[in-house]
Amino acid sequence: MAISGDIALIRDVLQFIGVFVSFSIAYVSFRGVRQTESSALLRLATAFFFLGFGFLAEGVVGLSQIAPVLPISATTIVVGGLLLETTGYFFLAFSHVVDVMLSKKMGAALLVLPVISFSTGQLSDVLSILSFYFVLYGVVETVYSYARTRKPDTLLIAVGLSLIGMGTFIQWLSLLYLQVDVLSLLEVILQEMGLLILFTPVLRFALGGVRLDGPV
Amino acid sequence: MAQYRTQVRIIADVLSTARDMNTEGNGVGVTTLLRKGNMSYTRMTKLLSELVGSGLLLELNGEKISKYMISPKGVQFLLAYGSFEDFATSFGLRL
Repeated sequence: MAISGDIALIRDVLQFIGVFVSFSIAYVSFRGVRQTESSALLRLATAFFFLGFGFLAEGVVGLSQIAPVLPISATTIVVGGLLLETTGYFFLAFSHVVDVMLSKKMGAALLVLPVISFSTGQLSDVLSILSFYFVLYGVVETVYSYARTRKPDTLLIAVGLSLIGMGTFIQWLSLLYLQVDVLSLLEVILQEMGLLILFTPVLRFALGGVRLDGPV
Repeated sequence: MAQYRTQVRIIADVLSTARDMNTEGNGVGVTTLLRKGNMSYTRMTKLLSELVGSGLLLELNGEKISKYMISPKGVQFLLAYGSFEDFATSFGLRL
């Protein structure tokens, strides 16, 4: 059964909050790359760049189903969007892997890929569970980082990532149980709440008002 | 356990030493920078010439030895570095 019209509309509009937040984080990170040449910020910018385009693809497809304008198959774009999201989450996890290696600390060592049966699952199911796994790794490493730095913002980001993680898990569930409308909406609400929390450092950065004319 | 320092972190360390240790206003010597920067003499002199070249440090040529002072561009770099470090730490990452 298809998702009812109102829920689908709310879900698709909410996707654009994700687009805005993701591109904002990518923009600040990219400014950081230009000014400090930090590879950590480059990976963060890449992650949120992919996530932004992933959310954009899903949002555009959702809205175009209400007012059909796209000549391309909606399923293709949705899977493409999911692939972009998974790539984004991968870069987020990868940033932590590199950070663990550079700091020579004991990482959570979760980077053992989960066993996924490609024969039974559809590509979208596989992407959702991979996203969940990458976000989960990001949550564990962020909590670990909070234990080291005791910085409240880091804990806040861990909470945000946890909500996104729950969202991706529910996304996977909603793909398995297509008849449950609410799951799809709940997934996006959790993801958007998580992303809004992730927006906090961007706000803090914007309020701090760093001004530099160019790379140094 | 000791941690690897990224290049940008090393630059920030050297610049903040040049800023904080310059109490008399006549610059900081290489010895002080070496002691605080925790790196070899060869590496430090190479880094110092790069930082002077990029305008982050000012070289004050004395009779016998050169001393170094942070430039306004260097101060600006440290401010930006602090903000971006804060941003990266929020995401659990090191700059």
